[in-house]
Amino acid sequence: MNPPLSSNPPSGEVLLELDRVGISFGGLRAVDDLSFQVRRGEIVGLIGPNGAGKTTVFNMITGVYRPTDGQIRWHGQEITGLAPHLIAKAGVRRTFQTIRLFADMTVLENVIAGQHLLMQQSWWQGLLRTPAQRREEHALVERAMEVLHQLDLADVAQEIATSLPYGAQRRVEMARTLVARPELIILDEPAAGLNEQESAGLNDTIRAIRDAGITVILVEHDMSVVMNVTDNIVVINFGKKIAEGKPADIRTNPLVIEAYLGQDDDEDDPLMNAIHEEQAQS
Amino acid sequence: MNHANQTAQPTPATVAPPAGAGTRLLRIVGPLLWVAGLAIPSVMSPAWITIGGIFAIYSIVALSQDIVLGRAGMYDMGHAVFFGIGAYTSAILSLSFNWPILWTIPVAIVLAAALGAILSAPIVKLRGDYLLVVTIGFNAIFVLAMKNNVFGLTGGADGLFGVSGPTLFGHMFGTQSDLFYLNWVVMAIVLWLMRNLDRSSLGRTFRYIKHDELAATTLGVNARNYKVAAFALSAGIAGLAGTLFAMQLSAVSPGSFQFTDSVVLFAIVLVGGQASVPGVLLGTAMMFVVPQIFTEFAQYRYLVFGIAMILVMILRPQGIWPARKGAL
Repeated sequence: MNPPLSSNPPSGEVLLELDRVGISFGGLRAVDDLSFQVRRGEIVGLIGPNGAGKTTVFNMITGVYRPTDGQIRWHGQEITGLAPHLIAKAGVRRTFQTIRLFADMTVLENVIAGQHLLMQQSWWQGLLRTPAQRREEHALVERAMEVLHQLDLADVAQEIATSLPYGAQRRVEMARTLVARPELIILDEPAAGLNEQESAGLNDTIRAIRDAGITVILVEHDMSVVMNVTDNIVVINFGKKIAEGKPADIRTNPLVIEAYLGQDDDEDDPLMNAIHEEQAQS
Repeated sequence: MNHANQTAQPTPATVAPPAGAGTRLLRIVGPLLWVAGLAIPSVMSPAWITIGGIFAIYSIVALSQDIVLGRAGMYDMGHAVFFGIGAYTSAILSLSFNWPILWTIPVAIVLAAALGAILSAPIVKLRGDYLLVVTIGFNAIFVLAMKNNVFGLTGGADGLFGVSGPTLFGHMFGTQSDLFYLNWVVMAIVLWLMRNLDRSSLGRTFRYIKHDELAATTLGVNARNYKVAAFALSAGIAGLAGTLFAMQLSAVSPGSFQFTDSVVLFAIVLVGGQASVPGVLLGTAMMFVVPQIFTEFAQYRYLVFGIAMILVMILRPQGIWPARKGAL
């Protein structure tokens, strides 16, 4: 494996590799023969029409679903079908399309949850509240506050997480994944439900994550986000990969256009709108 | 007691999160109430001393039930089993093997905790309602086993008699007052453990699992291990209460650990307030103390509690004294 020569993204070693991965639910082939690689330091976009199987791919990578075929490799080692907590331990963290914060808990407590695997205290130290345990609790709070500062959430640290506006909740979920210093974070539609201003801010956040040395995969419908921040895009339709390449190439790829045109009824589809604009300009 | 509000000027919180005014008040009033409770044996009638002692014991069991049900979110409807294991362990060791009763306490805790872990390990993956049915099954089997005098040790349907209190520093804890103090002190220890649990990784992880197990596992939580740990911890504390119970009644019988007793414990947590220590204590008081005030209604305590259950669940589904949100 080549060590990264510079901080420029595509030169990194292969971090994650999907090798002919497939999954069936009953008779339905949700994902079929899907292969792609993610290199260290990249931001990879996974896009496709609604129901193409994007979230299913994420669920397979993070161990929520076990693929029926193929292999998923992490640092060259097979991790196919490992339990989610073991995938997390390996250094992969994710957010969810439908935000999954711990209800009735503060922003701070939610972010502390992200540090679960960094925790040293044993159960009896917690019950007896030993000095070492107290010191660790302080350190957990400090570290969480650091990340909350970075994501501009420090002021709401003591608020109940689910009472915040949608955009802030997304950032809390991101803070919860980032606090663990993962190698790879997987963002499932981070722009969903955000207003224009918030999704512009999201671009900066995603770049900041990459600049902190964390590799990013994102599923996203918001093309302003996908086209602006990704280094590489994988397009899937009906569970199969139909294209892969730089954002500029993907925009003009006929197969991609066809896939998106195939669902005319979805007039709000942003990629289709982007494609139409592109065509109008040329 | 009305001078108490003069001392209610709270000191600044030492930890970062600002606690609500109610919580700060509770931090002062809670210990004061406990200290005031110490006066019960000297100022109240023997009947009330017994009620106070039994309240302390059932508070401990209800708090332990709350670990599994209110904090980790698992529907354990057979919690009386662990309470019973503790009681029987102490009774058998002290009566049949002549162990000093205090020495039986660690054995009662460890045996109950081990049983909690062993019984829960295969079932924690079950969804809430299925888990509930399985734990009812455990309770039924336990009662049947005790009634049938397994290993010739449990005394059958009548149970075991003659468990005596401990001897500490040459003093024999024989009277109801002595036992009251003992129970009251053990309750304080358990309350301290519950407070620590809330501020520890263990307690937080239980709540993460309750709120969103999938999200917790993607953060690296091994949900199965933590669920088993919740059962073991909870069962161990219930086992401790079992020893106290055996001493308090100086007898142990299957009738004290039936399915209906598990139902009452379950209901105390729901009615009082899940994951809320004051809520669980209030629920326990409603079940074991309030009926004594209306002695003529004593045999109708299930009626009183039944009506309260119905009203609370309809009008205040989060319980009488819900847990403070964001307790760190």
